[in-house]
Order: sequence, then structure tokens, then C-alpha cells
Amino acid sequence: MAPERVIIKGTSNGIIVTIGAGNWKTILRQLAQKLEQRSSFFKGGRVAVAVGERLLNEEELEALGVLLAEHHMTLWAVYSNAPDTQAAAKALGLEAEPANAPAVAQKTGRAARTPPTEPTENVTTIRRTLRSGQTVESLGNVVVIGDVNPGAVIKAGGYVIIWGNLRGTVYAGAVSPENAFVAALELKPVQLIIGDAIARAPADERRRTIIPEIAFVQDGQIVAEAWRKK
Amino acid sequence: MAGKVVTITSGKGGVGKTTTTANLSAALAIAGKKVVAIDADIGLRNLDVVMGLENRIVYDLVDVVEGTCRLKQALIRDKRVEGLYLIPAAQTRDKTAVSPEDMIALCDELRQEFDFILIDSPAGIEQGFKNAMSPADRVLIVTTPEISAVRDADRIIGLLEAAGKGPGDLIINRLRADMVQRGDMLDISDVVDVLAIKLIGVIPDDESIIISTNKGVPVIFENNSRASTAFKNISRRLNGEDVPFLNLQPEASFFQKLARFWNGG
Ligand SMILES: Nc1ncnc2c1ncn2[C@@H]1O[C@H](COP(=O)(O)OP(=O)(O)OP(=O)(O)O)[C@@H](O)[C@H]1O
Ligand SMILES: [Mg+2]
Repeated sequence: MAPERVIIKGTSNGIIVTIGAGNWKTILRQLAQKLEQRSSFFKGGRVAVAVGERLLNEEELEALGVLLAEHHMTLWAVYSNAPDTQAAAKALGLEAEPANAPAVAQKTGRAARTPPTEPTENVTTIRRTLRSGQTVESLGNVVVIGDVNPGAVIKAGGYVIIWGNLRGTVYAGAVSPENAFVAALELKPVQLIIGDAIARAPADERRRTIIPEIAFVQDGQIVAEAWRKK
Repeated sequence: MAGKVVTITSGKGGVGKTTTTANLSAALAIAGKKVVAIDADIGLRNLDVVMGLENRIVYDLVDVVEGTCRLKQALIRDKRVEGLYLIPAAQTRDKTAVSPEDMIALCDELRQEFDFILIDSPAGIEQGFKNAMSPADRVLIVTTPEISAVRDADRIIGLLEAAGKGPGDLIINRLRADMVQRGDMLDISDVVDVLAIKLIGVIPDDESIIISTNKGVPVIFENNSRASTAFKNISRRLNGEDVPFLNLQPEASFFQKLARFWNGG
């Protein structure tokens, strides 16, 4: 598989697409693929693109904007360290100052060297039981203090932590599958999706000792283990 | 005097809302309260049939709301017990004939007269449910020990909470101790564990309910079956009394289980 040249993250400031080195056409194709997989998730979002030192002209940026628009997203900013790229972005009416990068980037301490593209640790906290028919969607991470009942659904861009019983459905890592996990005091989901991996509840599960568990992806498979201090 | 409005609802159909409304209304009246039961299941009325008052209907809920009759004219008095009345649903109209505001206004008027106003909600989460829920001071959620019924009850509780009417009290109906014991039916703690709301009563599956329903006599008037005792106990709990739960299961561990979730939350 081709190396990851496109990283999509949800932040409190909208969606940030970080684009690495490589052929522009290949990159657009990768981006199109990723958007295809998760477009329902990003729908309606506004997008900032971080391109580092890459030189991009108006035409190339426009193609990017059109691709995003096809997936119902709006390009609004280009984070770039290259003056020519900044100029091209401005000519298209986009925000183009590196200074417009999310504030968090500065806080990382390595802001000087790293392109300003670190996503914010955006956490949505729910302080009640999610009941059947209730859905929580977030581009960032989700923390629930309460149960997630059968028929309730959580869709998260990142990780999901449930301080209670998970008996419903959770999609985690829809935006950033790399480090996504799902942890609960009782992990008994109807269905669990982390990134592209799916796990379903066994049809007949006899009661076992209930311990807090954490589920994550290992070699393309969802595995669960006891959730304890490492 | 300010009467209490108690709505009986469920989400899933056929789990025993109408049976519960009829019996609790009668039990409260027998205990000396002045009670009116309202059938809010417009278009599918049957509280009148279960209460055996069908042949006395002249006016109905829609007539009252539309001003075709005065409120007093639509109140059917149950002659078997002092202080029990019914406002039947219209059979030929649909739920849109009544709005939540209509129900609130009607109940505010009834509160002056009655100690308890019990509303039999239609199944589902549509307008009819909203009509029944909006005037409620208290909501009783009926479920059977089946996964689909519990799932729908959970949905309803979520909607009640969102509307500021939740979480309500739980009634588990049609429990069969023999099936629970064989592991073929959810037990009380399984249901309470998921729904996490207060249990106000457990009614056994009891054929005397079907027999009495067919006769148009709520079981509570008829005999001392366990079902009628269960309804009486719920009516006392509604009145604020602390009544221990019936032992519906032969095994001794029942109370231990009960104590566990009762204390544990
Ligand atoms: N505890 C019980 N034991 C045996 N039969 C019961 C019990 N409770 C209810 N039933 C029967 O189940 C059927 C449905 O009950 P009921 O009409 O009260 O349900 P409902 O929730 O009002 O239904 P709907 O959603 O159609 O209004 C009736 O035939 C009734 O006699
Ligand atoms: Mg009914």
C-alpha cells in the first residue's frame, strides 16, 4: 500500500487535512478515497488544508476545493509556509496565513519546526445514559459518563471512553483511526467499529466476570483487553 | 385540591397500558380517591371496553376539546365504585384532533375535581404519545420482559427525559416466574439494569386478566388473583405508601436480587 500522504483530523476549528510529500495527483486520489469512505461523517464541514512547504498554484488549489465540495465540504483556509502557495490561496479568496493555524499547534512546543497542523484534542462529554434512538456524533473524541444502551449510537472521529456499560453501537476512529480505541466499564456492544475494523456481539454470550475493557485495532482486527493502568 | 396527572405509556404496543390504566384507576377509587381515566388512544379506543363502559358513551375526548359538549357530559361514571370516571377516546377521528395544549388545558380543569387523572397513552412515539405525555406530573412506563419491549421503553424514557418529564417509574408486566427460572425470560434485574429507573410494580402473567378483560370487568373488582394484588400495590405506591414487592418467584433469591438493584440504584 502507498504511504499515507493524507491525514484528516477533526478539530474544534473544523476539519484539517494535512498533506505530505508526493505526487499531487496521487495525493488527490488518496484524499478522494478517504472522503469516499467517511464522507457522511465530514458532510457540511469546513476544511483547512495544511500543505507545509509544498508549492501549489491556483489551479491545483481549485481542484482541491472542487473535490471537497463534491463531498459537501467547504475549503476555507490553506496553511502553508510557501509564499507562492499563500498568494495562490489568497487569490482564491481563502485564508492563507500560517498564523491562522489552530492555536494548539503553538502549544506543542515544537511549533517552530512542525507545520502548524496539530489537531486540537476535541472531546465531547456526555453526562447521562444514552438511550435507544439517541445518537452522538463528534469529529473529535467522545466521553460518556453513564451507560450506552442497546439502540444508542456513538460516532466519533477519535476515541470513545464510556464510564458505564456499553451495550449499544460505537463507531470510533472515523477521522483518525490510528490511535482510536473504545474503553468501557462493561464492554458488551451490539456492534463496534474502529477505523475499518468491525466486531459484533457474539450471538450468545453467557455472563462472565465483568471487568473494564479497552478495545483497539491490532493487525486489522479488533481486540479487547482488561482496561487498567499501564 | 390539585389532582395528580399520571400517564401510562410504553412505546411498544400491546404490553398492557390499557389493562394497567383500568386497574389502577379502579384500585385508586376503591381506596377512596376520586379518579378519572382518560383514553388518549384516539381512533383505537378500548379503555371503555376494558372497563365495561362502552355502552354508556355519548360524548368523547374530541367532543370535549372541540367544545361540542361540556366536560361534565363526557365524564362516564363507573357505577361499581364511588368516584371512578372515564373520558373515552373518539373512535372515528385521529390523533391530530387533539393537541398537547388541549390535553394540558383539560387536565388543569380536571385537577380541580379529581385526586388522580390517569391517561392511557397510545403506543408509539408520535403525536398521540405527545398528547398523553404533555400534561403528566408522573409517567408510568409499562414493559414486558422482552428485549423489544425493553428497547422501546428505553426509547420512550429518553424522550421523556428530553421533554423534562422523565425518567418515570417502571412497571414490568406479564412476568412468568417459571420461564425466568428456566432462563427463557429476562428477569426483573435484567430489565431494571438496562433501563435504570425506579421500579414501581411487577405484574405476573395471569390468565384471569384475559378472562376479566373479555367480561369488561377490571381484574381488581373480581378476585384476589396475584395480578389484582400487584395492581393494588402499585396504586398504594402511587399514593406514596411503601409497599413491599410480591414474591412472584418461588426461589428465595428473589428478594436478594430485588434488594440488590433496589439499593444499588
Ligand atoms: N398481566 C397480564 N397477564 C395476561 N394477559 C395480559 C396481562 N396484561 C395484559 N394482558 C393482555 O394483553 C393484551 C394487551 O393488553 P392491553 O390492551 O392492556 O395493552 P396495551 O398496551 O394497552 O395495547 P395497545 O398498545 O394496543 O393500546 C390484552 O389482551 C390483555 O388482556
Ligand atoms: Mg391500549
